[in-house]
Amino acid sequence: MTATLAWVPFLTPLTAVQPVWYLLAIPFAVLISMIWKAIRVEDMREYARHVSVMATLIVLGLLTLAILLTLLVEVGIPAIPVQRP
Amino acid sequence: MTGSSPRSHGAAPVGGAQEPPAERVPARPEAAVLAWLLPGLGHLYVGHRRRGVLILVATALLVAGGVLIGGPDVVDRRNDRLWFIAQAGCGPVVFVLDAFRERVSPAQSWDFSVRAGSDARQRYVDGDPELRRQLRRASIGHVNEIGTLYIALAGLMNLVVVLDFFNPHRVPSPRERAAREGGGA
Repeated sequence: MTATLAWVPFLTPLTAVQPVWYLLAIPFAVLISMIWKAIRVEDMREYARHVSVMATLIVLGLLTLAILLTLLVEVGIPAIPVQRP
Repeated sequence: MTGSSPRSHGAAPVGGAQEPPAERVPARPEAAVLAWLLPGLGHLYVGHRRRGVLILVATALLVAGGVLIGGPDVVDRRNDRLWFIAQAGCGPVVFVLDAFRERVSPAQSWDFSVRAGSDARQRYVDGDPELRRQLRRASIGHVNEIGTLYIALAGLMNLVVVLDFFNPHRVPSPRERAAREGGGA
């Protein structure tokens, strides 16, 4: 609470988003897609659709990686038998 | 990339059909320089008004978002040099941000190391109010990582935009297309 009250935009870090930091990947994916598609799409009437598809694919890709890494750390690595001397 | 682009990238004719040779757009180094100075300015210069505005808005939101999330500490030429190289793709604005951070939040974690030889540790123990104010502006953890990443990716994406002006298969602006058709007639 104190940290939130003391927050000065652009001068102190926005610590309130610390617990949900992974949600910041969504605006990030949209903005990256906006720049990439601005130089790649030939017909600008298709721009919004291309940006939506690319942003969705980035977020889904990140989500898939997160699931795979979680499975590896939580299931895969603990399943490796420990060799006792 | 998406497969829906009608542009030909030098594909061989299939089934004997005569395809026109891929159109090559001349390099625009002056537009590349403008694009580095201010993201989107290069496209505005060559006549891609809408694309230029979109690049400018998206890059500005990434940079502003990065500083909003992580504070001025996310651009740090002294301590995060590799990240700064990526961020420098955004142009002079990043150097201005680094100078701003140096002014408002010069205290760094390194300064508290005994080996650094600075008096920061003693000033902290003594309760120096200015030092404590500076430390409140320093970001750590996820907010620092995400803020740094936002601006670094903005820089790398702008680098792609700059390099695109040397791509012979880039989308020509209406002005460039008209000039080429006028020259070829």
